[in-house]
Amino acid sequence: MPSNYLDKAPEVAARFARLQQRPITLEVKGLTKEFITPRGTVTALDQVSFSVHKREFMCVIGPSGCGKSTLVRILAGLESATAGDVMVNGKKVSGPGPDRGMVFQGYTLFPWLSVKENVMFGPKVSGVPNTLAEREARQWIDLVGLSRFENSYPHQLSGGMKQRVAIARALANQPQVLFMDEPFGALDAQTRCDMQNYLLEIWRNVDITIVFITHDLDEAVFLSDRILVLDANPGRFREMIEVPVPRPRHNEQLFEPTFAATRMHLEHLIHPPGQESKSAPVIRLTKPDPDVI
Amino acid sequence: MPFSSNQPSWFAIRKELSHMQKLVLTVISFCLPAALWCLVSYVPGVWHPDVKLTVAASREGVATVFTAGDHLSKGYFPKYVDDVRQENAELLAAGASQSNKRKNQKLLRQIAPIAIKANWIKPEQAQDDALIYQIWADLALGKKTLPTLNEENMEIVRLNWQKLSAQSNTFSFQTLPQEMLLKLLPQGVPANPSYLPAPHEVIQAGWRSFTSPPTSDRATMRERFASSVQIIFYGFLWAAIIGVPIGILCGTYGFFSHLFEPFVDFFRYMPAPTFSTLLVAVFAAGDAPKVALVFIGTLPHMILMISKTTRLLDFSLLEAAQTLGAKPRQLIGKVVLPGILPNLYNDLRILLGWAWTWLVIAELIGVKSGLTEVIETQGRFRNFDEVFPIIFLIGFTGFITDQFLSWLHGLLFPWASTSSKLSRKIAVIVTWPIRTVSAGVRKNGKAD
Repeated sequence: MPSNYLDKAPEVAARFARLQQRPITLEVKGLTKEFITPRGTVTALDQVSFSVHKREFMCVIGPSGCGKSTLVRILAGLESATAGDVMVNGKKVSGPGPDRGMVFQGYTLFPWLSVKENVMFGPKVSGVPNTLAEREARQWIDLVGLSRFENSYPHQLSGGMKQRVAIARALANQPQVLFMDEPFGALDAQTRCDMQNYLLEIWRNVDITIVFITHDLDEAVFLSDRILVLDANPGRFREMIEVPVPRPRHNEQLFEPTFAATRMHLEHLIHPPGQESKSAPVIRLTKPDPDVI
Repeated sequence: MPFSSNQPSWFAIRKELSHMQKLVLTVISFCLPAALWCLVSYVPGVWHPDVKLTVAASREGVATVFTAGDHLSKGYFPKYVDDVRQENAELLAAGASQSNKRKNQKLLRQIAPIAIKANWIKPEQAQDDALIYQIWADLALGKKTLPTLNEENMEIVRLNWQKLSAQSNTFSFQTLPQEMLLKLLPQGVPANPSYLPAPHEVIQAGWRSFTSPPTSDRATMRERFASSVQIIFYGFLWAAIIGVPIGILCGTYGFFSHLFEPFVDFFRYMPAPTFSTLLVAVFAAGDAPKVALVFIGTLPHMILMISKTTRLLDFSLLEAAQTLGAKPRQLIGKVVLPGILPNLYNDLRILLGWAWTWLVIAELIGVKSGLTEVIETQGRFRNFDEVFPIIFLIGFTGFITDQFLSWLHGLLFPWASTSSKLSRKIAVIVTWPIRTVSAGVRKNGKAD
């Protein structure tokens, strides 16, 4: 039975009502980004506004070219906006800062530092004494389950392990918001699934608000409370979806009607039906094979 | 079966060879040129386009004077012999004359170089006519034999002794014959051109020059080697002290990049040796202009290479550090520097190799010095057997230094995975005490 993505179980609806009451951690107002190219001005983001509540998990999704990476880079302070404001806990921010952590798709671990030293990097540049930074780093490494590897170097770790170190490194700074830019995009399907569960586990145990960029619809539905859907060319606010799938999430929910309905709706938003381009295949066989269809 | 089946094929396309195969090929790569050198030097008929004189003769009215040891082309040698033979016939035909005594004294001494070579007399006895007279006697009467002289020349020796002994059995100018003595005919052995001495000659010459006792007026090889190394060291050190910071600044800030790099790029195209006379004028004699030449030869390349290396650092590492709260100064000290260090080290290693080129030029400016002076002077006298050991020495020094530094790279930067398995193993052994102590400290910490 196809279900509507707007139908919420009462306890899910109640939870969303409670989330609305929480203070706003991140507020984005009228964010616009224009790139000046030789062929004229290209608008990557056009008047994007939204807000994220404390300890909320929000995913940003959209077709390629919708500027979701640009958005998160502006939020992290790595790029400047043409217009609009970014506020963390009500305070306007510009430029990168330790209040906003970031996990990149390409790991970006410092190859000359061990796992422990990587995690200690943030606290140490903020002036935390060595012994304290080391003690805290151990706890964060423990949290991501890599205690056995604290003295290993990044090149000795697998992709999933590297990304766990990157998460621990970002969290060790105790930021208000954690931005994640397609962090599991380079991982294989199985590892990606494990990492999603890991991330939810960490999110439950750490006081952190997460803004997560992805192009994987299942990932977005599985992880988030709300999903921000962007339009492409220029990147515009399309819809904010409240995910009706109850928490705690587990892998079996992928086959539940609420999950499927939400996913279907996302699919329609990003790839509107009727717009698929169907090119006629070149027929090379004179006699069709009835078993290959 | 010479190799087990799990050994990769020797000719697999883009496949890594086994450790043993690599070692074997490395040895062969050095043996191959050496074997070629031996082949050309020792196997007759492969090349040997020259004749090296063992017996030389002077000719009347010909300006070019050959002495034993000189090289003649194979084509010219028979004509040379014929010329001397012709002169002998003319000498025989000429009658007796009082004035011939002077010429005969000279001809008497033609045996001296051969006797010196055979160690019968010392070089300073080349004009000791009594001694030389005795040698003619000994050779003619068979008391001494000299395999280098062929039968035709032995015949000449006997003929000459007949004439000499007819007058007297011992030397005196008065009793020299009035009939002309005959000239020894030139003799020679097939030889390679003087610019390609045989391996054993090079080894002997090298051994001689490195073990010769120090004299007051000439520097020993060791002193020369030390002086060369010193020039390269200081030239390179100064270049690194100035070039590394500028290179890093250029690679980090657009400001410094555009302030320094255009001129450095231009300066690079002015060959360092063109400054040599200028440097001598500025720094006067001694090592200073030489150090300066190595310095200005190395510096522009160093700045450009290091700025490029710095720019190649993954920019996302800098972004990650910024999101972790690093300030601009911390970015340089905690990300840029450690991040580029392994590549910077390799750049310096490559530049050090180039510095040897500048050294050779540097040693020729002002007062010639060091190893290059030997190459220059000995080469001018065509003593190439003395030149090759120096060339090899410079080559080996550069090669060994580079191999050592490359090995050290593995020790210093185990995380930059270009290091070989062997050097990583050595790194594990070398750092073992440190790791054990720190592990012990950690355990004790936990126990508390």
